[in-house]
Amino acid sequence: MQPGLSFEQAPPISVPFRFFLTAPLFGMAAGLLLLWQGPEAFVSRWSSVALALTHLLAVGFMLQAMCGALLQMLPVAAGANIWQPRLVTQFTHAGLTIGTLLLVAGFLSEMAIFFRIAVPFMTISLGAFALIVLIALFRTPAQGPTIISLRIAVFGLVVTIVLGATLASGFGWQLALPLTELTHVHAAWGLGGWSLLLVASVAYLVVPMFQLTLPYPVWLTRSFSVTLFFLLTAWSLTWLPLQRPDGLQVALACAAALPAMAFAAVTLRLQAQRRRKVTDPTLLFWRLAMSALVVAAVAVVLQQLNPGAEDYAGAPFLLGVLLMVGVFMPVISGMLYKIMPFLNWLHLQKIGKPGLVVPNMRQMISEPRMMMQFKLHLAALVLLLGAVPLPWLVYPGGVALIASCVWLEWNLIVATRNFARFSRELEERLAQEQAG
Amino acid sequence: MSEERVIDGRGLMPPEPMELTLTALDTLPDGKELLLLLYVEPHPLYGILKRNGYTHRSQSRPDGTVEIHIKKA
Repeated sequence: MQPGLSFEQAPPISVPFRFFLTAPLFGMAAGLLLLWQGPEAFVSRWSSVALALTHLLAVGFMLQAMCGALLQMLPVAAGANIWQPRLVTQFTHAGLTIGTLLLVAGFLSEMAIFFRIAVPFMTISLGAFALIVLIALFRTPAQGPTIISLRIAVFGLVVTIVLGATLASGFGWQLALPLTELTHVHAAWGLGGWSLLLVASVAYLVVPMFQLTLPYPVWLTRSFSVTLFFLLTAWSLTWLPLQRPDGLQVALACAAALPAMAFAAVTLRLQAQRRRKVTDPTLLFWRLAMSALVVAAVAVVLQQLNPGAEDYAGAPFLLGVLLMVGVFMPVISGMLYKIMPFLNWLHLQKIGKPGLVVPNMRQMISEPRMMMQFKLHLAALVLLLGAVPLPWLVYPGGVALIASCVWLEWNLIVATRNFARFSRELEERLAQEQAG
Repeated sequence: MSEERVIDGRGLMPPEPMELTLTALDTLPDGKELLLLLYVEPHPLYGILKRNGYTHRSQSRPDGTVEIHIKKA
């Protein structure tokens, strides 16, 4: 298209793609584990199976896709350059992939050796990733709510890693640690202080951009991340030993649910008022995720205000399924369907020259195929929520989760193959023109 | 005061605004400015402009619109 225009600032396309193609495999593994264990999987959140399931989804699927997207997004969307992107990609991808396998093996086998290997391995690889990303975020000349929120989110990731490493050390070396308290705080930082803040930071940018909505209101983008961060910090401190101000803990947990609810409600409203009423799979995934976030926030408040809820073993599963399968997996799927075609297009531009038309984004993954995955994922969410009161639903729920992840993986493979095919075609046409 | 060509990318789906901008720059006469209107800062475009001898200045309007003025360096 443009003579001599250079596009080198985007990292190589293999940088994010390896994360994106690995993530659904762990989603499938979670589905298989559900089928293997059946209703046992949902008996207690403290069971080995439940912990393995949680980490297959939270680290194997979510963190894998989030790290890949962040490495790609920082230079393209935030003007922040990552130090040695290829090297960082390799150790982060290895840390996440092998680290997830080690954690899951540790939980399922209850053998300390897996945790002893996982602790240094994951702490170094993920810690280095977080540090490099933080440096890039502080060095970028770009400003705005996305950058500030991203810095806070990555700090939230650091807190999650430190707490996770402490817990895993407890399993690995049989340390006398307050495991229950640490687990509550670790989960809250992983899901709220990192994942939700990351989604919000990205939403400020991509919701107006890809869904053609008005920008997020300034009051929300200025206050959301900071408020949630301070509430989470204060709430975490109430779990310190020798200090149990129960009333304060409940009040802070409820207060932290409110900004989450506000963010979801504002996003839903912006989407309802979008300027061009185009409904694509990404929009549907986001609307599902934001609706699930409203329900999850209400569930947190109800759970906190109802003292009997602690005795109901299903409560953490409802919240876990709502957040992981209902909020974060749909947002990630929806974003991958924008990110991969956009990256294909951006990298194909490098090959292009005047008069040579580059295929557009819509030609990378077919819309009906993306829509099919949305339906499968919605089915998985409904069935797994249903499995909390009706345990036998765990079987169809597991099958639906596997189907959704297989479909996602296949769609991403199609996008990768299309990139290779279009690159080849463009290069052949260029060679023909030069020869002619 | 140089005459400006305007691309309003606010109602367009990415990467359409970038495609239109790059095409418009092909035929932008020296001394003339191209004004791009978006709701976000287009960082990939900034990198491309810098490396290809264009300068830009951007400013935000109260409604969240970012004005990007582009011309040959």
